[in-house]
Amino acid sequence: MIKGYNKYVGLVDSLHGFYTLETLADRLKINRTRAIYVIHRLRKLWYVKTSYGAGNRRLYSISLMNKQNRTSYLEEFNKNMPNPSLRIRDDENYFVYGRKLKVEEELIYALNKKRIRYVISCLFLFRKIEDWHLLYNMAKKENLSRQISALYDVARIFIRKVRRMPERFRRLTIPKKNDKYIFIVDGFSSDDFKEIERKWKVYIPLNRDDLEEYNLLKYDKHK
Amino acid sequence: MININNQEILFNEIGRKLPKKLIAYSIGGTAMMLLGLKGETKDIDLVFDNEIDRSLFIKILEEMNFRKDERLVIENYGLKKNTPEILRLGSGDFMFDLFLKKIVTSFFSDGMKERARHTYEFGGNFVIKAADPHDILIMKSVTSRLKDLEDIIEIVKKTSINWEIIVLEAEEQVRLGNETAIMGLGEKLEKLANQKIINVPKDVHAKIWKLFSKQVKDKKGVK
Repeated sequence: MIKGYNKYVGLVDSLHGFYTLETLADRLKINRTRAIYVIHRLRKLWYVKTSYGAGNRRLYSISLMNKQNRTSYLEEFNKNMPNPSLRIRDDENYFVYGRKLKVEEELIYALNKKRIRYVISCLFLFRKIEDWHLLYNMAKKENLSRQISALYDVARIFIRKVRRMPERFRRLTIPKKNDKYIFIVDGFSSDDFKEIERKWKVYIPLNRDDLEEYNLLKYDKHK
Repeated sequence: MININNQEILFNEIGRKLPKKLIAYSIGGTAMMLLGLKGETKDIDLVFDNEIDRSLFIKILEEMNFRKDERLVIENYGLKKNTPEILRLGSGDFMFDLFLKKIVTSFFSDGMKERARHTYEFGGNFVIKAADPHDILIMKSVTSRLKDLEDIIEIVKKTSINWEIIVLEAEEQVRLGNETAIMGLGEKLEKLANQKIINVPKDVHAKIWKLFSKQVKDKKGVK
């Protein structure tokens, strides 16, 4: 244990929040060099997380929570997004301790939210799906298998390098004759993807204009 | 006392032992720890929706050598109704308070459940929904423990309180049968505001006083 551990716990508790070096120095009434040292000590104790703001300025999140070995669906989902406009801010979050989240789980989480922004962003996850078997099992459990196949077809139109869906997944999710149309987001259907809607008997809550963001993507950066 | 890291280890262990997914609501210190408002707690307060889940949780704790302590229930809560099951490790200086729907005099209302927006999953199967700081404040305002007063101060200082929610929920608590909710809240807020420890808008005091007067009038009318 680092010397003075308890002293730092109290300090972290009272500092809880976002700081730049200057605001931290100001808050603690110390000089810049001393503030760098405080950040250094707190980082050693896992209480500091660094992110970058406008102008590549370092922002330090100081919190007791940073030490927890956890991740959240939203954090992982946003990590997988190729640009900021596809990232999502939500005041509702699901944290997971002691294990890593898989892209397949993130896709199911996003669809369960039943919100258009999540649907638009989750299309990019199709580029990263590796375990289709896991995805099928989870989708079946949540009654989302047809929705996933329909959105996959939309993703193939707009996003480059989306891997081919296994034939077995496609076959297992094809709607039966008596199946009714289902909504991904209640009350929303598409004007532009009628054919895909008919094929999967799923109302797609997107038009071409919603997916403009994908046309502007620079793919080389996000392999 | 148990700190964030030890709590995480303990919850992960419980989650791994649970045979199925189990959802509980955390209130008090545990919720404050999960929300990053506090570093450690003495009681791990959990609210369950049904007896089956609570019994399963108790069974797992007993497998981990926690034991029921009925003497402590009487010491802490007297002979009140809706007291929790208390379990503790022989040498442990923290304990589990396991409530069923009602928390002594307070109700874990539907509004509170809706506001518990952050979910925390431990060890795969143990899912905790942390009560919203507004609701923790209300529940802490009906007790007579000084440490709860300290927690109220922390909540008001570290979060942005929407006083409208506090007043509405206090009213809802009275409607559900928790007759001391408005009185307790008014008394605590006035005490802290008078000592200039926290800032409470004047119209909030006025609203609480108005609700309290109405409650007294209604009560007289009934008699």
